[in-house]
Amino acid sequence: MSALPELRGFRRPGGGFGVRNRVLVLPSVVCATQVARQIASAEGAVGIVHQHGCLHVGDDLTHSEGELLGAATNPDVGAALVVSLGCETLRGKRLAAAIGERGQTVELVGIQAAGGSERAVADGRAAAARMSAELAAQEREPMATSDLVVGIDAGPEDELAAGLGAALADRGVQVIAPPDGLRGAEAHVSLARLGAQLLLSLPPAEEAPLGFAVVPVVAVGRDSELHRALAGDFDLILDDGATPEAAALVFERLIAHANGEETSAERRGARDFVLHRLAVTM
Amino acid sequence: MSPPSLTGYRRPNGGWGIRNHVLVLPARAAANAAAEGIVEGLDGAVAVAHEWVGVPGDPDTALVERTLAGFAANPNVAAVLLVGVSGEDEGLAALIDSRGQRLEAVTMAAHRGTVGTVEAGRRIAERLIAESAAAVRQPMPIAELVVGLECGGSDALSGITANPALGIASDRLVGEGATTMLSEVPELVGAEELLAARAVSPEVGRRMVQVVHDFERSVEALGVDIRGAQPTPGNIEGGLTTIEEKSLGAAKKAGNAPLTGVIDFAERPGPHGLYVMDTPGHDIEQMVGLVAGGCQIVAFTTGRGTPTGSPIAPCLKISTNTAIFERMEGDIDLDAGRVLDGSHTLQTMGEEIYEALLAIAGGAPSRSEVRGNREFAIRRAGRSA
Repeated sequence: MSALPELRGFRRPGGGFGVRNRVLVLPSVVCATQVARQIASAEGAVGIVHQHGCLHVGDDLTHSEGELLGAATNPDVGAALVVSLGCETLRGKRLAAAIGERGQTVELVGIQAAGGSERAVADGRAAAARMSAELAAQEREPMATSDLVVGIDAGPEDELAAGLGAALADRGVQVIAPPDGLRGAEAHVSLARLGAQLLLSLPPAEEAPLGFAVVPVVAVGRDSELHRALAGDFDLILDDGATPEAAALVFERLIAHANGEETSAERRGARDFVLHRLAVTM
Repeated sequence: MSPPSLTGYRRPNGGWGIRNHVLVLPARAAANAAAEGIVEGLDGAVAVAHEWVGVPGDPDTALVERTLAGFAANPNVAAVLLVGVSGEDEGLAALIDSRGQRLEAVTMAAHRGTVGTVEAGRRIAERLIAESAAAVRQPMPIAELVVGLECGGSDALSGITANPALGIASDRLVGEGATTMLSEVPELVGAEELLAARAVSPEVGRRMVQVVHDFERSVEALGVDIRGAQPTPGNIEGGLTTIEEKSLGAAKKAGNAPLTGVIDFAERPGPHGLYVMDTPGHDIEQMVGLVAGGCQIVAFTTGRGTPTGSPIAPCLKISTNTAIFERMEGDIDLDAGRVLDGSHTLQTMGEEIYEALLAIAGGAPSRSEVRGNREFAIRRAGRSA
C-alpha cells in the first residue's frame, strides 16, 4: 500500500480540524437575508440564504435552531456572524449566544438594533473583515486521515454509497450518514450539524447535484443519462459502481478537496441551503 | 377628487404591469446557481433562488408549481427565462405558458451543467431584456391595479395608526374599482366573524369563517399551541398581548369595504373588490402568495421595522410609530406615527398612503427597491419531504 496522503487542515480550539476557514454569515430569519447577502460579499466570508426563522411552532423551532447552530459551529466554519432582524421567532441573539457557548468565534448584528439595513450592513462588513483578517493568519497543519469526517448523502440502500463508505472507512476516514433517512440538500445541513467536514454526495440517477454553503460537497455521479448530461456539475462520474479503482479515486479526490482544492459546487457558486422542517410555518 | 393618473405596461395577455422585469426563475434548487449566474452583472433581469428541490411525488408539488407559475406570470414581469434541470421541468413551463406569459426555457441537461447553462441563458436573457425595453408606460385604468395589504413586525400601535390608515386607502382603491387583498389567516383569528359580516354573499362569509377554523384545526392537529408562535416575541415586546388583539388590528388594513371573495394561496382574485387570500402569517411566504396571485404592489405596515421587499413588486412600507421610522428611514417609506402627534388624521394619512401607492405604481422606487430587497420563500403545506 502506498504512503498515506498528506492531509492538512485548520486546527480548532476544541480539538479536531476544519478543511475550510471562512466567516459564515448566517441570517437568523429570512427578513435579514438581503443584509446578510451584502455582508457576505466581503472577502473571506460566505453567506447562507434561507427562508426560515419566523413563526415556527413546537419541535420545529427547536429543530430549526439546532440546524442553524450546527451549521455555525461546524469545524469548517472559522467564525460566525449572525444577522438578526430583531422581532423574529428564532431569536438571533439567543442563537449567537448558543454559538458562543460552543466555543465558536461569533458576532451579532441586528437590523432593528443597528437602526436599519444600511447601518447593519456597515457594522456587519466591519465585523466580517475583523474576523476574516484573524482567520487569514491561520495556517493549515497536518491532520490524520482519522481526523477527517465525511458525511455521505445518498438514497436508501444505495450500493454505490455503501461500497464507497466501506472503502473510506477501511482507509481510516470517519464516515457518517444523515439522520432520519434524510437525503439531498436537507441531509447536507444535518450532516454539517453532525460535524462532517466534507460531504460525499451521490444523487440518484434521475437527480441533479446540489451545493452547500457551509461544507464542501464532492458530487459523484453514476451511470445515468442525466448525470452524463450534467457532467460539468459533478466532481467525478463513476460508470462501474464501487470498484476498488473507483474507491481509490474517490478517496484521492476527497483528500485533494479537503486540502483546499475547490469542488465543482464551490467553483460555480452553488450554495443551496434547504432546511428540513417538522411543521408548516404559521 | 378625481383619481391621479396611473401608468403601467399593457401585456399581450391583457394584464397590466407597473414594473418591467425580466425574471430568471430556477425550476428547482439545483438550478439556483445557474439562474444567479445568468443575471450576474446584468441590468434589467432578476433571479429568484429558492428551496424547492422537487423530489418526485412530493405532495406539495401542485401548490409549489402554482406559486412559481403565478409569480412568473405576474404582470410586472415582461418575460420569464425558466432554468430547468431536464425535461422533467416541462410541466412548470407549460403552466407558465398557459397564463399567456412571454416565456423562454433553458435546461441544464442540454448544456452540460451550470457553466454552459449560464452562457446559453445569458444570451436569451439579454435578448429578453432588449425586447422588454420596447414596452412603454401608458395610462392604466385604476381598475387594473391589485394591491396587497400586509403587516409585519406589528406592535400595539399597528391597529391604531398604520393599519386603519391603510384601510382608508384600501377603501378608496376599492371604491375606484381596484382590487385589494388582505392575507395572513393566522392573524385574522378572532376577526373572522367581523369580516364575514361584510361579505357580499353568505357563501363568501362562510368561506371566511371556514379558512380561519381550518387553520385553527390544523394547529390543533399538530398538537402545538399557536401562542408559541403568535404573537411573535417582537410583537410582545411591541406591546401586543394576544393573537386576538393582533388580529383585530391586522384586519383594519382592509378598511370597511364589502368582502368580495376568499381565495386560496397564490390564486388570482376575480375582478375588483376586497379579497382575503388564505396565507400563513410569515411575511415572505405571504408576500410571495400575494404577488403570485397578481398583486403588482404591496402596502406593508410595520411597528418593529423590517426591510422586506419582493424581487418583482414594489413594497410600500408604512411605520406605525415615528421612532421606528426615524431609526429605519432607509427601509421605511412613510410614517403613520404622525397620526399621534396631531399633524395627521387617519383620513389624511390614508390619503397620503393612497397617493404614495399610485406614485410608486407610476414608477417612483420604493425603499425596498432602492435597497434591492428581494426576499423569497416557498410555502409548504406539509412536512418537507
